[in-house]
Amino acid sequence: MHNFEYAKARSVDGAIQLSTPDSRYLSGGIDLLGEMKEYIVSPKRVIDLKTIPDLDRIDKSTEIWKLGANVRIAEIAGNDQLRATLPGLAEAAVEVGSPQIRNVATLGGNLAQHSRCWYYRQRDLRCLKRGGNTCYALEGENKYHSLFSGNPCISPVVSNLAVILAALDAKVIVRRGEQEVTLTIPELYANAWDNPLAHNSLRPADLIVRVEVATAKNRSAYLQVSEKGDFDWALVSCAAAGQKTGSQWTQVAVFLGAVAPIPYAVDSTLLESSGLTSDSIASIAEDLASKATPLTHNGYKLPIAQALVRRCLARITV
Amino acid sequence: MSEWPKEPKQLGKEHVRYDGPIKVSGRAKFASDIQPGGWLYGMMLRSKWPAARIVAIDLQPALRIPGINAAVVANDPPFIVRFYGQEIAAVAGVSKQACLDALRAIRVESEPLPFVVKEEAALSNASPHVFENQPNAGVPRVLQVGDPNAAFQSADKIVEGFFQTSVQLHHALETHGNTIQLNDDGLTCWASTQGISGVKDSLADNLGVPLDRVRVISEFMGGGFGAKNGAGVEGGLAARLSKEAGGKAVRLMLTRFDEALAVGNRPSSFQKVRLGAKRDGTLVAYQLDAFGTAGYASGGMTAAGGGGAGFPAPYIYQVPNSRVQQTTVAINAGSARAMRAPGHPQASFGMESIVDEMALALSMDPLELRIQNDPSEIRRQQFRIAGDRFGWKAKYRSPGASSGPVKSGVGCGGATWGGGGHGSEAEVQINPDGTVEVRCGTQDLGTGTKTLIAIVAAEVFSTETSAITVRIGDTAFPASGGSGGSTTAASVSPAVFDACQNALRDLSVASGLADPRGTNWGPATSRLRINPVVARGRWKDGLSGHGVGGVQMAEVAVDIETGFIRVNRIVCVQDCGLVVNRLAAISQINGGIIMGLGFALYEERIIDAATGVVLNPNFETYKLPGIADIPEIDIFLQDMPERGVIGIGEPVTVPTAAAIANAVSNAIGKRVTRLPISPAQILVLVGKVPRIPVGAPNGQTGA
Repeated sequence: MHNFEYAKARSVDGAIQLSTPDSRYLSGGIDLLGEMKEYIVSPKRVIDLKTIPDLDRIDKSTEIWKLGANVRIAEIAGNDQLRATLPGLAEAAVEVGSPQIRNVATLGGNLAQHSRCWYYRQRDLRCLKRGGNTCYALEGENKYHSLFSGNPCISPVVSNLAVILAALDAKVIVRRGEQEVTLTIPELYANAWDNPLAHNSLRPADLIVRVEVATAKNRSAYLQVSEKGDFDWALVSCAAAGQKTGSQWTQVAVFLGAVAPIPYAVDSTLLESSGLTSDSIASIAEDLASKATPLTHNGYKLPIAQALVRRCLARITV
Repeated sequence: MSEWPKEPKQLGKEHVRYDGPIKVSGRAKFASDIQPGGWLYGMMLRSKWPAARIVAIDLQPALRIPGINAAVVANDPPFIVRFYGQEIAAVAGVSKQACLDALRAIRVESEPLPFVVKEEAALSNASPHVFENQPNAGVPRVLQVGDPNAAFQSADKIVEGFFQTSVQLHHALETHGNTIQLNDDGLTCWASTQGISGVKDSLADNLGVPLDRVRVISEFMGGGFGAKNGAGVEGGLAARLSKEAGGKAVRLMLTRFDEALAVGNRPSSFQKVRLGAKRDGTLVAYQLDAFGTAGYASGGMTAAGGGGAGFPAPYIYQVPNSRVQQTTVAINAGSARAMRAPGHPQASFGMESIVDEMALALSMDPLELRIQNDPSEIRRQQFRIAGDRFGWKAKYRSPGASSGPVKSGVGCGGATWGGGGHGSEAEVQINPDGTVEVRCGTQDLGTGTKTLIAIVAAEVFSTETSAITVRIGDTAFPASGGSGGSTTAASVSPAVFDACQNALRDLSVASGLADPRGTNWGPATSRLRINPVVARGRWKDGLSGHGVGGVQMAEVAVDIETGFIRVNRIVCVQDCGLVVNRLAAISQINGGIIMGLGFALYEERIIDAATGVVLNPNFETYKLPGIADIPEIDIFLQDMPERGVIGIGEPVTVPTAAAIANAVSNAIGKRVTRLPISPAQILVLVGKVPRIPVGAPNGQTGA
C-alpha cells in the first residue's frame, strides 16, 4: 500500500476535524486494509476511530437499542438480550465472516463496506465502479451479481446487517460536518442504486456514529444461502420483521441482500391487507420474478430469493 | 528378500506426530520462516496481460527505490508472455513494502496480443493462437480396443452424457518459494519442496554451479500436492537476485495471488461419454470424446510430467470394446502440473456418472452393477464392505424419491492407483551413548514421513519412537528422490528398515553381543568407544507393494429450493498394504476426502473471457471446504501386511467427487453434469431458473 498519515481520533468531533477529502476512517479495518493493499484506495490519512471512547457502547431501553458504530459484530451475535428482542439482527451477525472477523469487524464498518465484486477488487482492472468505462460483470462472470439495479454497475450490497436493519426500520445516526443527520437504511444506500461509483450515500467525511433500532417490531428473522456452510458470502440474504399484537400484524417489512446495490425492499403491502397467510407470502415471493432482470449466470438467485422470502416470513409467523 | 516382522510392536499402531509439538508451537522453521543473516525479501513482477509481446523492461526506477538491492528480468526482451501472471522480473530488498514499491516502479513496454481463455473458444478455428503458427488443439490421442461400433450395435441399452470438470488449483497452505543464498562458496537453498534432490539438480544445472557446491534443505514444508517438484521460475530468480545482491540470501515466497496464476493446476475436462450394456448389466461398449486444457503450454512444458489434459478411460471398469479420443487444448492461462492423482478424479467423475446412468436405464442397483463390471477382486470386496458399513441397501432409493424440499441421496465410486517404492537410501548412526540417528534425504510433505522413519527404526531396535532422532530434508543425507505418486512411504520405509538392520548387525559384530537390543543396548553401545556404528541401507524389493483400489460412498442432503448442498457422510474403504502409522494413514485419507469434496462442490479457477485475468485469486472467492462443510468420515483400512508398504496419498482423493455427484443426482433425480456442483447448477437442473442460457459456464449448461 502507499504511505499514509495515521491519526487517532479521541472524539467524534475530533474525527470530523481530522478528516480531509483524502482521508478514510479506520475501525476494524477488515474492508479498508484490503482495499489499501490492493491499491483500490490510497488515503493520504487514516483516522483511527477505535480510540474514541464510548463509540462501542450498547445502550438499551425498553423501546430502543442504541448500538455504537464501534460495536463489534461478535458482540451483536453474542448478546443474549439483543437476540431475545431482535433475533433477526443476531442471526445476521452470526453469518458475518468467521469468528476472527467478527471479533474485529464493527457495525459501522459492516454498513459502510465497499463492493466485493471480483472485477472491482481485481488489482489489474479498472471497472465502472472504480472510475473506468465498463462494468465487466454485465457480460462476464456475474453469478454473484445483482438481479435488480438502477445503474449499469451490478455489484450488490453485501452487508448482512444492512438487510436486517432495513427490515427493522433502523435509524443510522451520521455526523456530517457539524450536524448530526439521521438516515434510514434505504437512505443510507440510495445513491448506490443510481450511481455506479457509489457504495452508499455517505459523503467523504461522513461518520456513522450509531445505529438505533426500535424494539417495536417484536418478530424478526434473517436467513441467507451461501455456497459453503459457513464463512462465505451470501448468494442471497433475506430479512423479515414485523410487529405482532395478538393476531394482528403491522409494519411488516421484507428486504433482500446480495441481489441489488441496495438492500432490496420486497413489496409486502399485500401482507398488511391479507395478513401473513401462506397464500399472501407465496404471492409476494412470486411477484419478484416480474421485477428481476436476470443475467447470464445469476438467474438462479431468483428462486433462492423467493424461497428465502417464504422461509423468513414463515419463521416470524411461528 | 527382506521381510517385515510378523508381530510388530510399532508398525501399524497409532503414533502421534514425531514433530507435532514443534509444529503446533511454531518452533518448526518452514522455508517461509528461514531468515539467514542479512536476508532480503524477494518479489516478482507478473504480466498484467494474458498475451503480450514484452518489448522492453526498465529496471532502473526499481533500483532507485530506497532499500532495493537487486533487480533482474525473467527473460531478456523481446519475449512473449502467454498468460496473466507470467513472470517478467523480480526484485530484492530490505522490506516487503520496498519490493512492492519497486515492482510498481518497473517500466514495461508491451504490445498486447489477442488471447483466449475458454476451452470451447480455443477449439474454434477463429480463435487467437496461444502459440503463433500452432493450432491450440493438440493432436488427439486415440485409443481403440476391440470393436466398439459392433458392440454398441449389439448393446441392449446405451446411455450418453456430457460431463465437465473445472480447473482446480493446488493451493498448498505454504505457498511456493525458496530462500536462496548464492555466493562464491556455492548455493544454499531452503526450499518449500516435495523433491530436494530435484531442486538441487535443477538449480545446479540452470545456474552452472557444481553439484558439490549446492545444498538444498527442506526440513519442514507446508504441502505440495504435486506442484512443488522443482525450484521453479521463482527459484531461479531468487538465486540470480542473491548473486546480484552480493551473496545475500533472498527469500522469495509467492503470495496467495501468485499461487492462483502460475504454479500449477489440475486440467479441466469436457467429456462426451457413451456407454453400452447388455440387459444383464454386462458393459460391452464405451466411447469417449474429451478435451480439456492444461494451460498455455498444453502439456508439453509442464513440470513433473503432469501436463496434458488426458485421463484414464473407461477408468476402473472392464469394457471390452472402447474408443477413446482425447485432445488437450491450449489457452492463455497458467500451466497444469501434477496434482494429487493426476487425471483420476476427472476420470472417476465421468465414468461413475455414466455407470449410474446405466444402472438407472437397466433398473439395477448401481452398486451391484459396479461389482458386476469391476475386474479388481479387491475393489469388489471393497464395494461390499463399504455397502455394509454405509447401509447402502437400506439407503439407496430411486432418484428424487425423498419427500420435502430437502432431498437426501446416496452415491458411490471407486479408484485405482499404482504407487510403489523406488530406490531410496538411508543412513543410521548408533552412537556410543546409545542414541540413534536416522538420516534420509527425503522430505515431509505433511504426510508424517519423520514419524514413519522413527516407527520403522524403533521397530528394528525394539525401542520407542521417542528414542530415535530423525533427520530429513537435506541433500547432505543419502538421496531418496521426490515425494510424488504416493511413493514416499513405500520407498523410505524399506530403506530405513534395511539401514537399521545393517546397523544392528554391525553393532552386534562390534559389541560381540548376539542380540544388542533391549537390556543389552546400553552395554553394546558403550563398547563402541569413539566410533559410532554408521550403516546405510536402500530400498529393497519385497518390503513395499503397489497397486491399490479404494471405494467411497457419500450421503448428501440437497435443498432443491435454494440449491444448497450438504454432504453428511462419507464412507471410505481403502486397501493400504502394511500400515506403518494408523493415525497418519487415517489423517491422509481425511485430507484426501476433504480435497475431493472441494473439487466436487467449490473449487474452480475462474478466468474472465474479456480481460483474461483470474477473478478468484484468493480464498474469499476460490472456495475451499471449511469445518462446517466437512461430513462425518468413516474410514475402513483394509490391512494387507503381506503386500508390504503402499502409499495411499492419491487414491483417497479420487472417488470422493464422483460419489458426491452421484449422491446429489440421486437426491434431486437429475444428473449432475459439472463440477463444482453449485447451488446454481442444482436450481437449473430442478427447473427453477427462469431462463437457461445456452452454453453458459458456472453450472448452467445441461448435458
